[in-house]
Amino acid sequence: MSIASVLKIENLRTYFYSRSKEAFIRSVDGVNLEIDKGETLGIVGESGSGKSITALSTMGLISAEPGVIIGKIRLTTENVQKDLLQDLNNYVKINTSPGRIMEVYKDNSGWQKYTDRMMRGIRGKEISMIFQNPKVSLNPFITIGKQITESIMLNTPIKNRNEAKERALYWLEQVKIDSPRLRYNNNPHGLSGGMCQRAMIAMALSSEPSLLVADEPTTGLDATIQSKIVSLLAELKSSVGVTTMLISHDINVIMELSDKVAVMYGGTVLEHGPAKDVLTEGSLYKHPYTEALLASIPNEQHIREKGYLQAIKGDVLDTINIPEGCRFHARCKKITDKTREQCEHIEPDLNGVSPGHSVRCWLFI
Amino acid sequence: MKRYSQYSTNISDFSDVPFWKKAGTMDLVYVSYGIFIVILVIVSYILGAFNLLPFDPHEINIKLLMAPPKTAGHILGTDFMGRDILSRLIIGIQAYFLPGLLAIAIALVIGTCFGILAGYWGGGFDTAITYINNLLNSFPRLVLILLMVAAFKPDIYYIMVIVGITNVPVVASLIKGKIQFLKQKYFIEAATALGLKNRIIIFKHILWHNCRSVLIIQATLGMAEAILMETSLSYLGFGVQEPIPSWEIWFCLEPTTLCRASSGRRRHRHLLYCLPSWVFIYLATG
Amino acid sequence: MKLSAIRPILLLICKELAIAGLLLLGVSFIVFIILFLSPGDPFSLLLKGQMASDAVGAGTREALRVPAAWYAQYLSWLSNILRGNFGTSIRTGLPVLSEVIRVGINTLYLTIGSMLVTLLLAVPIAILSARRGMTVFTWTSTIFTYVVSALPVFWFGYIVIYISMHQFGLFPLAFGSSSQKIGWLYFMPPVLVLGIGNGTISEVVRYLREEMERVFSEDYIRLARAKGASIWKHSFKEGFLIPITEIIASKIPFILGGAVVVEQVFNWPGMGRMAWQAAQDRDYPLIMGITIVAAIIVRLGSLIQSVVYIIVNPRASQK
Repeated sequence: MSIASVLKIENLRTYFYSRSKEAFIRSVDGVNLEIDKGETLGIVGESGSGKSITALSTMGLISAEPGVIIGKIRLTTENVQKDLLQDLNNYVKINTSPGRIMEVYKDNSGWQKYTDRMMRGIRGKEISMIFQNPKVSLNPFITIGKQITESIMLNTPIKNRNEAKERALYWLEQVKIDSPRLRYNNNPHGLSGGMCQRAMIAMALSSEPSLLVADEPTTGLDATIQSKIVSLLAELKSSVGVTTMLISHDINVIMELSDKVAVMYGGTVLEHGPAKDVLTEGSLYKHPYTEALLASIPNEQHIREKGYLQAIKGDVLDTINIPEGCRFHARCKKITDKTREQCEHIEPDLNGVSPGHSVRCWLFI
Repeated sequence: MKRYSQYSTNISDFSDVPFWKKAGTMDLVYVSYGIFIVILVIVSYILGAFNLLPFDPHEINIKLLMAPPKTAGHILGTDFMGRDILSRLIIGIQAYFLPGLLAIAIALVIGTCFGILAGYWGGGFDTAITYINNLLNSFPRLVLILLMVAAFKPDIYYIMVIVGITNVPVVASLIKGKIQFLKQKYFIEAATALGLKNRIIIFKHILWHNCRSVLIIQATLGMAEAILMETSLSYLGFGVQEPIPSWEIWFCLEPTTLCRASSGRRRHRHLLYCLPSWVFIYLATG
Repeated sequence: MKLSAIRPILLLICKELAIAGLLLLGVSFIVFIILFLSPGDPFSLLLKGQMASDAVGAGTREALRVPAAWYAQYLSWLSNILRGNFGTSIRTGLPVLSEVIRVGINTLYLTIGSMLVTLLLAVPIAILSARRGMTVFTWTSTIFTYVVSALPVFWFGYIVIYISMHQFGLFPLAFGSSSQKIGWLYFMPPVLVLGIGNGTISEVVRYLREEMERVFSEDYIRLARAKGASIWKHSFKEGFLIPITEIIASKIPFILGGAVVVEQVFNWPGMGRMAWQAAQDRDYPLIMGITIVAAIIVRLGSLIQSVVYIIVNPRASQK
């Protein structure tokens, strides 16, 4: 663990329970991530790959019933060094049988209370989160100005309402909202999606967190607004320099904003490394999934090459029925006869292929 | 501590869990209540029809007024006119049943019509029916019944008509809400586009497949409510009049409401056949 | 609140008032129809406001110059109502409106008191079950509310009287309709009985709990939690204030109906008991007046609820 690491997630597993199927949904199944100070980690993946759940687990926003979180999340900032999932196991008793969770006894209200207590000084202050669908995420009954001011008063030493208001206006300017003084008194439904998202970013940054978690910040917006928000985030990255965990299924967004990239599929990280290595095409060591993702981006070059959009065949992994072996092997185009045995029956580990870059594939082991 | 367990280790075995496992214990309790009551009602009718009651419920026995239980073959004693309480109890179930049926019939039929008019065609119909709903909701039921009684005669059937009419807004708004919800799901548009031109066919889809559960719940709840109202009225002296045996005071528990609360997550048709009147017998102790 | 925001709110409130007015008009129409269709021809009495004997013949009617056509009758009757002239009671000869208002106050005490009792019981259960899920406590109390809701209120009332009076001698019940001073102790039993025994407590709990659970799962609450803010503060308006006013407004008719029975059981000098008496005596003007006043109370409750909604929810007033 490097000295500058802000967040280190070790072997995080988040399982949900489906009553109708009486089985555990393994949304996040063994994720290891590390974010250093000042850098942006981009997490890419299809829907259902567990990216959002990773973020929510970090924030402790998984609703108590019936989520079970196992693992270690270590947060290191100036004020706080702790394991966010410490002692959560006291409320959960797990019976496993061959490597698979069979039975869980969970004390729901205790778990919930404990999580809340644990995260009390952290949510908002140390870790801020912004969500998809900004219009719905802001409280429709309160003006955005008041919401930002509330965040400031709760999470920063500023306790005076007028000072907090000035600070809120400052941040509204930073996110390039037009006429901040006017917008301060607007309700969320009176603002467009882009403006709401800016307001949410302002709210998240105004509490001066050590880590910003951005869960699909551009997904709910129009295409033109998306690029504007992305450029705003890039500007803020250079001016404010906050450590970010950026989650998106849009590779272009990840490409523009991240320093490091992790590719997730079926609840695990398939590839992890610097953005340059992971996201440039034609690099030697790349997970077949990442390759396929990159090839499927609809841009001129790809369409000219093949003449059609190259989707990845098959469906996203069903996280209840996780098959043996590599999670991607059913859709993988690069299986060779040599590796077929292994791909189908044994799950590979993350293996370093170059400094800082690791891939979970039998092709590279 | 709550227990969550995996059904099987076999990966390929994740088909839907058999439904009897899905039903919780409380659901089974409710279903058995409901079936118990249905049986009671049926038994009551049969006994009455075939004169199998222990004593004639109308037979007045002057020698035995207000006898305590277990005298001379009367298991529950006799009332103040010497009539066997048990037989009257059994017959009494019938007295409440038919008028209640009238009430819910009116409520459901009119309410569904209104609901469909308002939900399906919307617009002017919607405003008009919302107005009517609010209007009907403005009256306390009992007060309106008293008005009826003052203006007309205190006939239980008239009263049940009022109960039915005042229940119309509830049914209408439920149906309207359901239809609006379904409309959002686009399949109604699809059905129309496919050329299901007979709106009646569309109503079959909407009503039968989708609203059936709601209607049954409403029917059973309405029945329970009607029965409660009848008892209150009997108490006040306006309900079923003598010589129909109805002096006993009943109260009804509503497992259906409980059903609805717990089965919100799983809409099993079986649970909806719970009739609500779990009848509890309270003997007037004078 | 900014001044510019107030005007659309006022407009909406006026709109609500207009709707309430229209509804009351409809109420009057329904009451009129019921009376009109009655075989007893009550309008000869109402429109002249005199105590007439039962044998009112057609000749007398013309002599009293009662208009014959139904819409004319309706209009003159309505104008009487609007002027406050509800006719006079057949039994006592006193003007209906003032009598109803005199006893209506007692009923209002009863109604509001019992609403408070219901809320006092329902709100904690709803909040606890929304926040902590179904624990042993919330589960049993929910079942308890269902059981209690199904009890006929008069049975419950008698049980309470029996237990408290005969067994323990608590809560003196003696008061006549002449005594206007209602002390605390006299007040308690009927209020408690109506508050607990009316069939609404289970629905209040269920509705409140559902609304709170729905609000807790909303995105903006998630953001509030992520911000470190108190979710109670954020969910108060939509999850608590609005559902409570809504459910109370919609349950007022039930509470009033229950009041009729409870007043009978406890001999409480209120509108409900008077209504029952009037129905027994076929006292049309009185029962008509009570019906209309009751409808007015219901509409008032509904109006208050709409106004609260408009004030609290910015989306309602800014299109």
